[in-house]
Amino acid sequence: MNELYAVLSPELRMELAKHEQSMTVPAGTRLITRGVLPEQLVIVNSGKVQITVDCVRNSAVLDVPANGKVFGMRAVISGELPEADIISKENCRITLISRNVFLEIVRQYPQIYFAIAKVLSNDLVMAQRFLKTSSRRSRAMRSTTGSLLSWPQ
Amino acid sequence: MTVAYNFQIIEDCAKCTYREQRLFCDLPRAALLRLQNIKATSVYPKGALLCLEGQPARGVFVLCTGRAKLSTTSSEGKSMILRIAEPGEVLGLTAVVSGTPYEATIETLEPSQANFISQAEFLRFLQENPDVGMRVARQLTHNCKCAYGEIRSLGLSNSVPEKLAKLILQWAEHPLETTSKKPQETAIRVTLTQEEIAQLTGSSRETISRVLSGFRKKGWLRVKGATWTILNRQALRDLVTT
Repeated sequence: MNELYAVLSPELRMELAKHEQSMTVPAGTRLITRGVLPEQLVIVNSGKVQITVDCVRNSAVLDVPANGKVFGMRAVISGELPEADIISKENCRITLISRNVFLEIVRQYPQIYFAIAKVLSNDLVMAQRFLKTSSRRSRAMRSTTGSLLSWPQ
Repeated sequence: MTVAYNFQIIEDCAKCTYREQRLFCDLPRAALLRLQNIKATSVYPKGALLCLEGQPARGVFVLCTGRAKLSTTSSEGKSMILRIAEPGEVLGLTAVVSGTPYEATIETLEPSQANFISQAEFLRFLQENPDVGMRVARQLTHNCKCAYGEIRSLGLSNSVPEKLAKLILQWAEHPLETTSKKPQETAIRVTLTQEEIAQLTGSSRETISRVLSGFRKKGWLRVKGATWTILNRQALRDLVTT
């Protein structure tokens, strides 16, 4: 079960399930685009994705097995544009829920905020782990070469 | 409010004068009454450790007054300050909600009041009060944005003068009220040591000292104890290229 549904009541799961659209996408599919407000929440049921955060002169890349991971929650809830591209690295089974439908369900069932908080906190754990490992790598690169190398793709 | 050693302790959240200005604290009355029952108010001196990185999460700390630094340690033992937490922020939130260990060490930078809520009570409070859930989601959204901002800045080879100028300009968004007759001057209060500023910018204390000395010699900044006065904001802005 995905990280959103895992903490929802059966009633709420059924309500969301009415509006789901499931499909399989091939490798290289852009699931979330940096700087573009997503029209849907993207739930990756199986497969690996690549998260790319664009820096001014480089890109920071994180490969994650995404089983059950929800992408686009922060953008959908807050309206803030995503800072990362999410691209499928292999065939992925995904479920989409329309942004407008999801926001309407949130209005009708505000208790869903607990599950939203869970998803966002998982996002933050991932970002912070990436930050910690990348900052160590970038400092090591700076000290050995005197300039910042591009991170490997 | 209890007053001791010139420190005002806010016991009752409903009577707090800052309540409406703070995201988490501006709750409906019923939720506030519940919060009152589940929180434990404590006052911490400067340098107190609220939690340690890697420690199993046992609860959140709502920072009522004072400020705290969130830092992490590299495998080489070097400390890196992630950010400075301001009053009103809920600390330890990510760990408690996600069920993971604390991701940073939290240390007070000055005498502070924090309300501790145990993990079990906080999660129950969150589940039973959608208003709380919404505020928690908003804070997590803000924290995510900050984290991604940090990730993006890792790819930049900013110079230390640029990073320090950026930091000073950020601090200038909350200036001190002064009676200065020179409107172009902005006074700010900086309670971080040069070592802490070095940890925040990924440099060394000696480099920060040298850069600050340079800013002072150029007439851009005046430093008197914890009060820094920005004399030439445009010069600092010109240093910041990103």
